[in-house]
Amino acid sequence: MKHFRKFALGAATGLTLMASSALAQQSLLVGSTQVPRHFNGAIQSGIATAMPSTQIFASPLMYSDSWDPIPYLAKSWETSADGLTVTLNLVDNATFHDGTPLTSEDVAFSIMTIKENHPFKTMLAPVTTVETPDATTAVIKLEHPHPALMLAMSPALMPIIPKHIYGEGNIQENPANLNPVGSGPFKFVEYKQGEYFKLEKNADFFIDGQPKLDEIIVQIFGDTANLVMAMERGDIDMLPYLTGVRDIERLDGTDGVSVATKGGEAIGAINWLAFNTKKAPFDDPKVRQALGYAINKDFYLKRIMGGFADDATGPITMTSPLATTDVEQYAFDLEKAKALLDEAGLAPDGDGTRFTMTIDYIPGGVETGRNLVEYLRSQLKQIGVEVEVRTSPDFPTWAKRISSYDFDVTQDLVFNWGDPVIGVNRTYVSSNIRPGVIWSNTQQYSNARVDELLAAAAVETDTAKRAELYKEFQQIVVADAPILYLSEMPYSLAYKDGMDGIPTGIWGPASPWLDVSMPE
Amino acid sequence: MTQTAMEPTSAMSKPAKAASIPDEAAITPAHPATEFVRAFARNQSAILGLVLLALVFALTFLGPVIYPLNPYEMVDMPFAAPGGEYAPLGTDYIGRDILAGIISGGKATLAVGASSALISVVIGILIGSFAGYFGGFIDAALMKVTEFFQILPALLLAMLLVSIFGAKLLTIIIAIGIVSWPQTARLARAEFMRIRKLDYVNAARTAGAKNSYLIFAVILPAALPPLIVAAGLAVGSAILFEAGLSFLGLGDPNVMSWGLIIGQNRNYLLDAWWTVTLPGIAIFITVLGISLVGDGINDALNPKLRRR
Repeated sequence: MKHFRKFALGAATGLTLMASSALAQQSLLVGSTQVPRHFNGAIQSGIATAMPSTQIFASPLMYSDSWDPIPYLAKSWETSADGLTVTLNLVDNATFHDGTPLTSEDVAFSIMTIKENHPFKTMLAPVTTVETPDATTAVIKLEHPHPALMLAMSPALMPIIPKHIYGEGNIQENPANLNPVGSGPFKFVEYKQGEYFKLEKNADFFIDGQPKLDEIIVQIFGDTANLVMAMERGDIDMLPYLTGVRDIERLDGTDGVSVATKGGEAIGAINWLAFNTKKAPFDDPKVRQALGYAINKDFYLKRIMGGFADDATGPITMTSPLATTDVEQYAFDLEKAKALLDEAGLAPDGDGTRFTMTIDYIPGGVETGRNLVEYLRSQLKQIGVEVEVRTSPDFPTWAKRISSYDFDVTQDLVFNWGDPVIGVNRTYVSSNIRPGVIWSNTQQYSNARVDELLAAAAVETDTAKRAELYKEFQQIVVADAPILYLSEMPYSLAYKDGMDGIPTGIWGPASPWLDVSMPE
Repeated sequence: MTQTAMEPTSAMSKPAKAASIPDEAAITPAHPATEFVRAFARNQSAILGLVLLALVFALTFLGPVIYPLNPYEMVDMPFAAPGGEYAPLGTDYIGRDILAGIISGGKATLAVGASSALISVVIGILIGSFAGYFGGFIDAALMKVTEFFQILPALLLAMLLVSIFGAKLLTIIIAIGIVSWPQTARLARAEFMRIRKLDYVNAARTAGAKNSYLIFAVILPAALPPLIVAAGLAVGSAILFEAGLSFLGLGDPNVMSWGLIIGQNRNYLLDAWWTVTLPGIAIFITVLGISLVGDGINDALNPKLRRR
């Protein structure tokens, strides 16, 4: 607290700020609206925890911009020919922040803890045991081949937590979740709940010369408007996870501030329209396709999203090596849309109306939610579809409606989280039609071939063959259209001019900030 | 000006006078309708209010005939500035015509104002009249309820009701009515307490009139004038209330209203001022008009203020 006061005071008077930052050398002040529940990414998903967790904890692998694994805690790794054993050879100089050496015991403990506690159940489900023949070797035994394991070993999904601290008692209640001890580039200093948290450089980090920063302070803001203003004024140095189009435009036009519009592709948030495929008339693929052709995506991307969102044409995030663009593109064509509705037997009545439908959206999203549905109201009228917009006062209300199938069409924002097995399958496999569970297969989509393909792809270790299986899957679901894909969520990051090493990799800011540095 | 304004006055005075003879004339003999209209017409700000209201009604009810455009139709690029080729007052965030929105939003805005005010006045009169007429325990109990509603922050309560029961126009009307009746209730109570002691009421009671007859047929007509003024002002505040709810994102998205246009465009105030300012001016003019007319009626009804 004392330190933070000093900083705030420093920010108030320009001269003092210069003096104090010269003293602290490389201090980064980050602004965020995300309040982390705690810092233990082994048992908690979401970017609020992942961003600090990836600074505090190291993981077996990191990933390059082209989705290739890079050694991190594991200096090398190999998968057995049958795909049932993955061996990690760990670095021997990694220590936790309390000075204890990191060993294969900790890796085994972490993997089993994540398997049992992390919300992403499919991520490590096939892991049976982790053997530890010596201190620097961890052997992961699998029930069946599990290629998704590679991306699951990323910093955002597999923090290696110390067994001697988290091994006692119920991990959900472990006090170290709020006072974490890891082996990552930054040590946890303090967290004032809902106000700020502070990390400092781990001088004993196992990679020499990294990190560049001496300290990171993340100040938590109550609302985005204040946060954006703070960035505009130069009160903060970096603003990750910027989503509002107007906010991005505003900061992009601010002197002294740069905006990176890439980063976080592996998180792969896709904005889409989902149909209740068990409810007429949306049980007819022709009706769903018709709406696909009626949406002018160019208008949506350029006008509503201000050109800051990338196109999405399928269920797998576009930059993933497993994604294909060889799918139906739903090129804007109102006549085709009308023809499809005619074929589906939905002729216009006297007023030109074919049918009325409701559209829901996740409350809070302005461009991706409300503006999109308002656009659809005007746009779909042109093909004789009357739209009634249903607002939800809060997230639980929306989630309850969708997960109890009380909807026609809804906007939704769903995350890939690396490998399709983790974040994609859940939306399409018929075994995941689970009433009451949001982000399960709430479309109630059921296609035997899709189930078969996803099951096969989950265990296929040959990357090329795996991509083929996913290609067919993507072609089927795009053509069948239980979902119309609109765009990737723009996760932009604003930073002060002159900063270097900005985290724009596939995991974006939810990856270790090893190279981030402040201008001299 | 005064001459012309007085002409309809004399024409109207006869039937109005005849109607008011039985009870009203007996209590307040200095209240003939001629006097009222004359006093109202002398009040320049009241006349201005009438003109403003006439403008608003013309816009709302004649507008769609002169400018028949679907407010949901995208006519131009988003955020086209006023004076453009397709949209005289500019467009909103998806290119819908602001003028069409203002014209078609007037109906809902006025409907919300009038209906909510009606609800609040009906509840207010019922509670206030019973409290004022019966006094004692009933008065104390009803006034406690009134105070309970008065100390609740009205906007928060309305937001809560709309959140729970859904952002539908009907819900919004009821919510505004429910949170804004206490003032009318207190006013009605004061009037009833005053009037129930008057001789003519006692006379009616002695003649064997029942309580319900005394309340609704004997006292209420005499208590009405200030309540009518309060109802008028309640319309204005209900319109502001609806705008406030819409601004907070709790408007009915399926019914175009001025508040909704403002609420949906408020993020873009700095980029496209017209999307928020123009419907805001429409609300301002309407509420100002109602308020001026309300004050005019109040002054005209109050003999002490008549020559002000």
